[in-house]
Amino acid sequence: MGIFNNRNGSENGYRKPARYSAFDLFRRGLSRADWPRAWRKHDLRPSYDVVVVGGGVHGLATAYYLAANHGITDVAVLEKGYIGSGGSGRNTAIIRSNYLTPEGVRFYDRSVKLYETLSADLNFNAMFAQRGHLTLAHNDGSLRTMRWRAEVNKLEGVNSEVIGPDEIKRLVPYIDTSEDVRYPILGALYHPPGGIIRHDAVVWGYARGADAYGAHIHQNTEVTGIDVVDGRVGGVKTNRGDIATRVVVNCTAGWATLISGMAGVRMPISTFPLQAAVTEPVRPFLDPVIVSGTLHVYVSQTDRGELVFGASVDPFTSYSMRGTLEFTEGLAGHVLELMPSLSRMRVLRQWAGLCDMTPDFSPIMGTTPVAGFLIDVGWGTYGFKAGPVSGETMAELIATGKTPELIAPFGLDRFERGDLMGEKGAAAVGH
Amino acid sequence: MILLPCPYCGLRNASEFRYVGELSERPDPNATGIEDWRAFLYMRDNPAGWTTETWFHRAGCRRHFVVERHTVTNEVRDSRLPAAQLRDREDERATGGNVADDRGGATY
Amino acid sequence: MSMRLKPQPGEVIDRGRRFRFTWNGEAYPAYEGDTIVSALAACGERVFSRSFKYHRPRGLLTASFLDPGCMVQVGDEPNVRGAHRRVEPGMVVSPQNVWPSLRFDIKSANGAFGRFLSAGFYYKTFIKPRRLWPAYRSVLRRFSAGGVVSPDSSHGYFDKRYAHPDVVVAGGGPAGMAAAIAAAEAGAQVLLVEEEYELGGHLRWGNEAELAALRELRGEVGSTAGIEVMTNSVVNGRYDGNWVAVLQRNLPHVVERLVKARAKTLVVAPGLIERPYVFEGNDAPGVVLSGAVRRLVNLYAVKPGERAVVLSANESGDAAAEDLERAGVEVARVVDARRGGDVVRANGGGKGVRSVECADGTKIDCDLLVTAVGWTAPTSLLNMAGDRPVYDGRAARFFPSRLTEDVLVTGGLAGDGTLEELLAHARATGRDAAGRATRTGRALRAGIPQHADGQPELAQSPPVEYPKLPVYDHPALFRGKTHGIVDYSEDVTSKDLVAAEKEGYDAIELAKRYTTVTMGSAQGKLETVNAVAIMAEATGSTIEETGTTVWRPPYAPITLGALAGRIFEPVRYSPMQPWHERHGAKPLVAGAWIRPDHYGDPASEVRNVRENVGLIDVTPLGKFDLRGPDVPRLLNHLYVNEWSNLDVGAVRYGVMCLEDGVIFDDGVTGRLGSDRYILTATSSGAASVWEWIDNWLQTAKPGWRIHITPVTTAYASINVAGPKSRDLLLRLAEGVDLSPDAFPYMRVRTGRIASVDGCFMWRIGFTGELSYEIHVPAAYGLHVWEALMERGADLGVKPFGVEAQRILRLEKGHFIVGQDTDGLTGPYGVGLGRMVKLDKDDFAGKPELAWQGERGDYLRLVGLQPHDGSLVPPEASQIIEDKNGVVGRITSSRMSPTLGRSICLGFVAPHLATPGTTLLVQLPDGERIPIRVTQHHAHFDPEGTRQRG
Repeated sequence: MGIFNNRNGSENGYRKPARYSAFDLFRRGLSRADWPRAWRKHDLRPSYDVVVVGGGVHGLATAYYLAANHGITDVAVLEKGYIGSGGSGRNTAIIRSNYLTPEGVRFYDRSVKLYETLSADLNFNAMFAQRGHLTLAHNDGSLRTMRWRAEVNKLEGVNSEVIGPDEIKRLVPYIDTSEDVRYPILGALYHPPGGIIRHDAVVWGYARGADAYGAHIHQNTEVTGIDVVDGRVGGVKTNRGDIATRVVVNCTAGWATLISGMAGVRMPISTFPLQAAVTEPVRPFLDPVIVSGTLHVYVSQTDRGELVFGASVDPFTSYSMRGTLEFTEGLAGHVLELMPSLSRMRVLRQWAGLCDMTPDFSPIMGTTPVAGFLIDVGWGTYGFKAGPVSGETMAELIATGKTPELIAPFGLDRFERGDLMGEKGAAAVGH
Repeated sequence: MILLPCPYCGLRNASEFRYVGELSERPDPNATGIEDWRAFLYMRDNPAGWTTETWFHRAGCRRHFVVERHTVTNEVRDSRLPAAQLRDREDERATGGNVADDRGGATY
Repeated sequence: MSMRLKPQPGEVIDRGRRFRFTWNGEAYPAYEGDTIVSALAACGERVFSRSFKYHRPRGLLTASFLDPGCMVQVGDEPNVRGAHRRVEPGMVVSPQNVWPSLRFDIKSANGAFGRFLSAGFYYKTFIKPRRLWPAYRSVLRRFSAGGVVSPDSSHGYFDKRYAHPDVVVAGGGPAGMAAAIAAAEAGAQVLLVEEEYELGGHLRWGNEAELAALRELRGEVGSTAGIEVMTNSVVNGRYDGNWVAVLQRNLPHVVERLVKARAKTLVVAPGLIERPYVFEGNDAPGVVLSGAVRRLVNLYAVKPGERAVVLSANESGDAAAEDLERAGVEVARVVDARRGGDVVRANGGGKGVRSVECADGTKIDCDLLVTAVGWTAPTSLLNMAGDRPVYDGRAARFFPSRLTEDVLVTGGLAGDGTLEELLAHARATGRDAAGRATRTGRALRAGIPQHADGQPELAQSPPVEYPKLPVYDHPALFRGKTHGIVDYSEDVTSKDLVAAEKEGYDAIELAKRYTTVTMGSAQGKLETVNAVAIMAEATGSTIEETGTTVWRPPYAPITLGALAGRIFEPVRYSPMQPWHERHGAKPLVAGAWIRPDHYGDPASEVRNVRENVGLIDVTPLGKFDLRGPDVPRLLNHLYVNEWSNLDVGAVRYGVMCLEDGVIFDDGVTGRLGSDRYILTATSSGAASVWEWIDNWLQTAKPGWRIHITPVTTAYASINVAGPKSRDLLLRLAEGVDLSPDAFPYMRVRTGRIASVDGCFMWRIGFTGELSYEIHVPAAYGLHVWEALMERGADLGVKPFGVEAQRILRLEKGHFIVGQDTDGLTGPYGVGLGRMVKLDKDDFAGKPELAWQGERGDYLRLVGLQPHDGSLVPPEASQIIEDKNGVVGRITSSRMSPTLGRSICLGFVAPHLATPGTTLLVQLPDGERIPIRVTQHHAHFDPEGTRQRG
């Protein structure tokens, strides 16, 4: 798979993009030639085979795999702001597959696999750094959950193990593993394939790839309505004009309820802000990603040297992305409980994104009662890490009309059936 | 930090409260089909705008109350006692019960 | 070479206090009042850091907190603003981001390759081969900027404060001071916050008249009652509800303090930030802003160079030129941008500027180039309040557009004008702020419900008349005729922005993310407007159309220590804790409680309970005193089982489900009197259960006559368990007939224990032994515990901890909610289906439980024993079937001291739940061992004869 070695793509609209490599960088540096646009601008066509709502990693990956894997290129991705302006550009860029349920592990493992080859497939370096991922356990119960996850992970072929405080200290010398603290560290789930990535680069890489195949990426294009006639989708209305289409995919986060509502589909979703913060850079000292569910915090250090922090979602629903002081206060307290020597590091910026939380901390993917209206929503706090596999499976669903096995457990009808997913225990603070 | 108007205590920092959830009427458990019950359990309006919800004054008077809040601005335009209590008070009034405090619908 | 000038009228250094400090390993002199960088500049130093990507030498630019080239390490504190932080005797300061040294930096070779390292170059390379990427990455990481933290860095002391001002004024320049004075005179309590070490803003480096005005304003601030001044402090954020965060720095004994205030009115008066000019060589040491010159000369008496060129588009540039003349610097030329003059490039190597080329083709030798090309309005606090400032092309800066009722603006952010005009505007703003605060205060008080009718009417104070501030024309100068650095801390050039636009990153937010412009230490305060202007130029649109990036909190970087403050994490102990500590209990953190896990040997504690008698402190057990005639209705509603027929003196076990039919909590409830009940909940679930009950009573059943009182900590609770427990209690209980007939299993009695009145006790059996759970008024808990230990010595009484209790209950097959249940487990799955009374009219979760009963496809909790009784599969081990994969898991497991073999509880798929079935468990090392489903959950005494004894 990949833009350069896949020849299945439609002839119509395929444009081989300028190749990115050290050699080409050097060549253009010498000649001072400009690089071409990574994705083009287009007028809105009156109709598309498929309309993807939401220009984040999910929507762009869906468009990319529709073309790359299935030859479907008459696709529009509609983004009301700029691409990656929602959750894709606001998350803390953590990738992992150490989930609790076998279904979850299989699904996210496929995503990690896709992430591992993504830079090469897209010819765009997203700088995936598999530095390892540590989920700390501060009490018996969470240590038991870590062991549960490790055992399920191993059975699914995913590298996870429970390690003790000494090993934690070896991996992260800055962590306070002493016993006389309020929340002593009893152990951790260590997941070596986990890590961080340049989240924006994933968005841009997929956009460039989808564009190369001929998909149209429409920024500043807001969906204002969805036409449903006799229980099936007929088109979408946007601030730039109407589009006729028989397939609409809702790939939004934060606005999933509203977009689905336009098609008359009710969602089991509550939207909560999720905040994050970043410090000034310091010299690299922290390799793995650290998560503590008890302390509601996760920390990683970027290649630039900044610490990136996140926590659990805000305590009440809101569509506000203004951020709160309580968030940074609580966060700092918890970070310093883990790593007291960081007290003089400074928080440079805080921000918020919107998370569509579902009752069972699992996404909602697949068909809806409205024919042609598909959903890839309810991504809570774990949507970014699922971007590639979601795009791949949603593309397969659109192309084949059959729900891929990997996403079968995540259907909307599970709520009416009462077959909820069991991720709740592990995902409360699941980065 | 937003302020929430507790009908008993007045405006207090939101950190004193616990958000309970979007207000939804519990269907009659003996006369409800599976579809309606599961919709009650799981489906949410989740509007980007005015919403009616229940809050609990956890670090104060420990009272549940109903708030109308705008989910984009977080502005609050009304807070009142839960409907069941208001109904109850109506009943008491109708039967001549002793109504000590009828400030049910304090508006802010 | 000393660059220190003779005393200046406005200088802030104290020449009577001279000391030394260390920079880059060498000793330097300084005066008290010097910043780190002013002291170094006074000694002729010009280079203070190396830039992030190209490792170019960097010197002074703004001589303020924002100065991007003056980030230094002070001791174990990284990223100190060297142009702001005052130097102290003995301070150890070192440069950051240099390798191997400040003067010779190997990575400066990057500069030569700059054309190949365009913004985002890393996205385009290191792609293949994938296996080399980790190696590339480790090289890239070497280029990360910033100082150093060590694992041994001291935490330092931080704390927080709540302040209760009516009006917060952000900015202590002339406008801020005047606004504060006027607000205070109108009766408001005012908090005046200034980022620098002294009040005064630009007046501090002004002329005689300005210094006189400064003295007067400072005097007034000092003499007006009701103004609290915080200097070296910054209003760091404005959050919903005018919740204002103030960062206070350099207090005695406090590293930083976070002050939080619910401002009734916030007055934003930060002044304006001078904007750098983009042209080739604009980052060479010696290229400085006019404000930096004015500060250096007037505040620190430092001569900024020897021969200068000044590019001036405003009064600040003109004044800087005058300052330079006065300081003995040769001003080779003043290039007047108002008359079309421009500077094309600055030439110079690592040591700094050597010459400047002007637009008219002249080239002037100099070591100093001063630019004064305009201002950026720091609208951050307004953006946080929901404002979207608009660009005014005439003045070449942004102005506020829509302010909320509780935010006001004055000073340079509001307009231009003479000092008198600005002060008049500020005074009006202060009066208005006080008036609005009064109205807000009244509304807040009116919001508190009162029994008496008639709340005070809000008095309509007359609207404040504002003098209108003029807006002066200013040339729009962002980038000159050449390309240069836009973001100094990120090494982003205007060329990078143009290239990014061409590649499709044409929205300002995309360009920001692609090039990292504005993402460095100043967070766009120096860079944003230039970046926007360059993007506008590249896209052929206007600055208005291009818009700006979003300003986010905090306004200034704040330490994690200040945000955290002192960390308070309260814990709960039972009244018996002193005894536990004396007897070597190993503590167990269990949520809010710290409990004894064991006293050295949990297995022997288990054996002692089975053979003699043991005591366990179960005080954390959630306990609620329920009174009133409708308690049975409540119990029926909360629990899945039947409660209408609970007699006085009876105790019953119950399981609670939420509305989705999932087990929420469990526990026993006893009826102590005709309308008095004690309900117990799990320790960890107690708070949620209480709230759940409150929710039902308040929102659904307000008519039920029930009082609920939490008594968890009102009673100390002790479980006395073991065959000799009755013998022990007989020695201490009074007024209770303990004979098995009079006080049988699952009954509750009240009485006196160890001379303590008001105790109650019930016979229940979590351990599976004859046992009495006694609840005594908490103040007597320790006394009763000690009495039991003392009087039971000959019976072999010993304490036991949570670990022994876990073993005992597992032997007995009792499940623990949250351990042997999960987020999907209903009562049927744990074998309590028979308890569910669907014929009750209503109870929480009833419809779900009806459907759950019909389904039958849920996992079953079963007792399990490995064939090899010496193996204990760890909890959470998975149960495997070759064809179906995971078919269950171990939820609890222990070695049983009583049975001498391993025992477990676990979930299995329904088709595997038949007693006698052999299953495979996978151990963490991958080995699979056979395990058998047992007849009962209980591994020991399944008939329960011991507990009923």
